[in-house]
Amino acid sequence: MQNAKDTFYELLQSRIAAANPERTIVLRGVTRPGILVEENELVSAVTMPDCFRLRWIDAIVDPANAMPVATLTCEVLYETAGTAGNAGMDRGRLLTEMDAELAAAVNACPQKTLKQNYAGLAAGGNMVAMNTNIWWSNVVLDPLVVKADRIARTAKVTVICCEEAGEL
Amino acid sequence: MIGITETMPPAVRRVRAYFAPVNRGAEQPTIFDPAQQGMFALDAPPAPWIDLGWISGFARKSGTKFEPVRAGAPAIPQMQSRSAVDATVSLQFASWGKLQMALAAGTQQMNLLNTQTGVAAAGSGGTAIAAGALQSGSTANVLQLGVAATSFSVGETIVVDVDYTGQLGFVGSGVSGAYVKSALTDIDYIRRVSLNVGRVSAIANGALTLEQPLLAGTPTSAMKLSGVAGFCDREGSTFFQEWSALFVADGQQGERVLWHYPRLQTMASAAESSAASSGGLEVIRQGAAFRALSVTDPVDGESVVCFRSFVAC
Repeated sequence: MQNAKDTFYELLQSRIAAANPERTIVLRGVTRPGILVEENELVSAVTMPDCFRLRWIDAIVDPANAMPVATLTCEVLYETAGTAGNAGMDRGRLLTEMDAELAAAVNACPQKTLKQNYAGLAAGGNMVAMNTNIWWSNVVLDPLVVKADRIARTAKVTVICCEEAGEL
Repeated sequence: MIGITETMPPAVRRVRAYFAPVNRGAEQPTIFDPAQQGMFALDAPPAPWIDLGWISGFARKSGTKFEPVRAGAPAIPQMQSRSAVDATVSLQFASWGKLQMALAAGTQQMNLLNTQTGVAAAGSGGTAIAAGALQSGSTANVLQLGVAATSFSVGETIVVDVDYTGQLGFVGSGVSGAYVKSALTDIDYIRRVSLNVGRVSAIANGALTLEQPLLAGTPTSAMKLSGVAGFCDREGSTFFQEWSALFVADGQQGERVLWHYPRLQTMASAAESSAASSGGLEVIRQGAAFRALSVTDPVDGESVVCFRSFVAC
């Protein structure tokens, strides 16, 4: 399942970056596309605005197939206060932009990609292409939430993969 | 990944449909070769296949009857035979284009030709404005009309076909749109039933440019052009549309299931179903049901009605 989670994140990051190269964040001193996986970052009490935060929640594994099939639920959380130059009065527009970027990135065809194993990167190696694809649902947007001077939304995507022999 | 035994069942999102004409006069369907073309790009089907878009509720049913041949006392099945072969397909089209409507209607699907002012009312459209002649240099995408082009507008639907001059039998260029049993008097009849329609995307220098090429290809000098206000089909009438069909379902591991019916004819009249839509509205979907007719597979001379293929990249 970890390979599926990493692969989905990498694909979503590349699509978000292609759709809006201006959406960037500075994280641990590095400027990168405005998307992160919460469980891969330092714990923080501060929520970063204007970026997409992936949070993996449910996981179900169905063994009743030629290969076990894992179904993972990914929450995508994002929020904005608008821009200071507009005194925050453009926060609705900016959230709508993020809605559109996320929907385009998730719903664009193909909604599948070859699963990759990124474990080797930590030791200075390369990612390794696996034998099966991951695939995912269309994105579902939850209602907008007002958080003080910010407006926020949570979206959900279901990511599915086959568990190959020896996978975590 | 295709294996002999341990292959995952295809997980598909939806099914896409493709149309190709059957030459009714020659009784010649369009054959799809899955070995050569099975992995074609869904947005760019190989000629002459035409994309009908996504469909829902794709369901095929076999009515083939198997009979045991029994012998002995008590009688015990010794072998089997097929006493009848039958196959049907039902689906709902997601789009409301001319082709989808014609196939769903099953019978003649009329183009509502723009009418002359003040003519008598008719259920499938009154007397049409005289059709415009095409000038030389016209192609399947660009129709040369000269000054007459100014009477059309971008976004308008047009039909291009020959005058009716007493022809009997199958009529309609590219795809047979009707079968004329006895001579008619309407010079526009073939343009009324023709599937050789297009939508104007641009007008310049006396030429109409179409969004997509005409089904029948480059028009002949005998063809003329009429403006179309809409489409109409009728409950009743006698003609059966026939088409070569291809249905494609992509799995998530690069595999693909294809169902090819060389000859499909309707087995139900036009009908719609409603589905709830956002904002309390309902969307109307065109339902359609077809019976598969036989072709002979030249590989072994067997009569069959459907080919199902499973391919992978």
